[in-house]
Amino acid sequence: MVSLRDFLPYLGRRIVGAVVVLVGVSLIVFFISHLLNPDPAHLWAGARASASTIAAVRAEYHLGQPWWTQLYYFFQSYFTGNFGTDPQTGKAIISEITFYFPNTLELVIATMILIVVFGVGLGYISGMRFGSAVDKVIRIFYLTCWSSPYYLGGIIAVLVFTSYIPLFPSGGIVSQTLAPINRITGIYVLDAAIDLNGAALVSGLYHLILPATVLALLEFGIIARIMRSSILDARWSTHVKAARAKGLEEGEVRRSHILRNALIDTNTMIAVTFGFLLSGTIVIEEIFAWPGVGYFTYQAIVSANYPVLIPCVLIFTLGVIVANFIADVFYSLLDPRIALGEGGVT
Amino acid sequence: MFGVVTVSFFLIVTVAEAISSGAILPYNPFQPNFGAANAPPSLTHLFGTDLLGRDMLSRIVTALPIDIGIPIATVLISAAIGIVLGTLAAFFRGWLDEVIMRLTDMFMAFPQMIMSLAIAATLGPSLTNVTLSLIVVWWPPYVRLVRGGVLAVAAEDYVSISRALNSSFLYIVRKDAIPNILPSVLVYATTDVGTALLTLSTLGFLNVGIPPNAPELGVMVSNVTYNLYLYPYQVVIPAVLVAVIVAGFSFLGEGIRESLDVKLRPHILFRSKPVKELGTTGALEKGRVPPSSN
Repeated sequence: MVSLRDFLPYLGRRIVGAVVVLVGVSLIVFFISHLLNPDPAHLWAGARASASTIAAVRAEYHLGQPWWTQLYYFFQSYFTGNFGTDPQTGKAIISEITFYFPNTLELVIATMILIVVFGVGLGYISGMRFGSAVDKVIRIFYLTCWSSPYYLGGIIAVLVFTSYIPLFPSGGIVSQTLAPINRITGIYVLDAAIDLNGAALVSGLYHLILPATVLALLEFGIIARIMRSSILDARWSTHVKAARAKGLEEGEVRRSHILRNALIDTNTMIAVTFGFLLSGTIVIEEIFAWPGVGYFTYQAIVSANYPVLIPCVLIFTLGVIVANFIADVFYSLLDPRIALGEGGVT
Repeated sequence: MFGVVTVSFFLIVTVAEAISSGAILPYNPFQPNFGAANAPPSLTHLFGTDLLGRDMLSRIVTALPIDIGIPIATVLISAAIGIVLGTLAAFFRGWLDEVIMRLTDMFMAFPQMIMSLAIAATLGPSLTNVTLSLIVVWWPPYVRLVRGGVLAVAAEDYVSISRALNSSFLYIVRKDAIPNILPSVLVYATTDVGTALLTLSTLGFLNVGIPPNAPELGVMVSNVTYNLYLYPYQVVIPAVLVAVIVAGFSFLGEGIRESLDVKLRPHILFRSKPVKELGTTGALEKGRVPPSSN
């Protein structure tokens, strides 16, 4: 493991890097949303807005002013949390986002757990049994799952598991018939657990299973593939042979040498998959009527609701940046050389 | 094998359709025929008909040029951009490298589909806009791939010798850099066409960016989703077809990778001697100056 003395500067460097990327990303989003279209106020106010509404939108979002002023207000909205008002519901956008975000967080965390379990597990089995029938079956399975578009998985899941075999509910976070629970964190399952509300917890989990499993099955393929090829690379390497030769027991060889080396590439891939996962939430939340940021974003796109769209895109991008950051941290824990010297490994 | 067969089949159908502009279709894909609406798959209508009575097979074949052409175009252009930027970054290290890599990191931070969704929504529905919005988020991985490959090449002796012999930059790129990165780029690009198709059809499913009457597999799925329980095959068939095409490209990509990657061949995998003895980079086979000569 790497010492704290070396790890903290590495952490610092990673944080600075993430902030730089975040700033750059915001600039790009700002450019696309504010500057690409010569008269954004028209687009933002909605298709059938009256002249006074357009003028009000222009004033609120400072759209008539030079681009450096707009940029200033854009960044200011980050820190004050004032993203403006939703032109369709009239509510403050930040309050809508704080409502929708924890639901997506719940879905995403559940899905990530499943993805890691499926991807690493199946990749490991497939790699260790290279060439066998199990290997072939697993490969076909993950390749088929990964090739499916998001909507195919969602639609088939809804068809098969909610109508042909009525096993799971077809939408929503929780059964309509239950009384609402206290909102502590906003994550339904967590709130139900904290409140010790058994019925709500069960219902929440029950509704979570299908969307999370569908999304996980759609995304785990690339991880299984990378895991498999990394295991294949590691299995016959010289250091594994050396470990066996010096008498290390097989389980320990597999854990410390094969698995740990295979996880390095897989870890990077998990971060990449997180980005695809966030994209997938748009479709899956829409199919399963899961009230999360993806659903919100999709509604915003369909109704051309730009003031909402911009913070939503930024949230997704922030999610990807955070995921990459966490992956970098894990990477340095798995491979101490990374923290010790940037560029020590190519 | 599956990949080669599937991809060639679809490519042939696409080209035939594009060239003949509809002449090979059994039915007119745009003309409603309400008498035969919502028919299940049968001998006359191989994939059934949709709600307006249009033959599904014809609609699907009409959609193929868009659904295969746009991803291929996206990948080609993104790969070209990536190769140019990656080679520049790797050869001329220093600030150019830093700038290009920072830019790449920034664009890579965007979730692909969400960004193309937002851009396509901003630009308006048209096929060019869709392709453009895809390219904007598609090029970063190629820069990383190419830069890594060219960095490895640039460190080799034969490149230094080439520069000492006063070869121009373009000559070195053409003779040394490109042949070494092309295999990995090709492998990645093949699978990437599939991913581009997934994103394109999801954009279609969400009804963003594709012009209203353009046939596209995702649009076809979204148009009939409300009938999911009544006529499931109308929804499932185009979606499954997308999956088949994507799987075809993935298998093709994996097949190319396995045929090009020396290390994975089984007779090499299970040898007791290390792989290095069997031949190293392509430089030796292609008759270039070996690392340590004479």
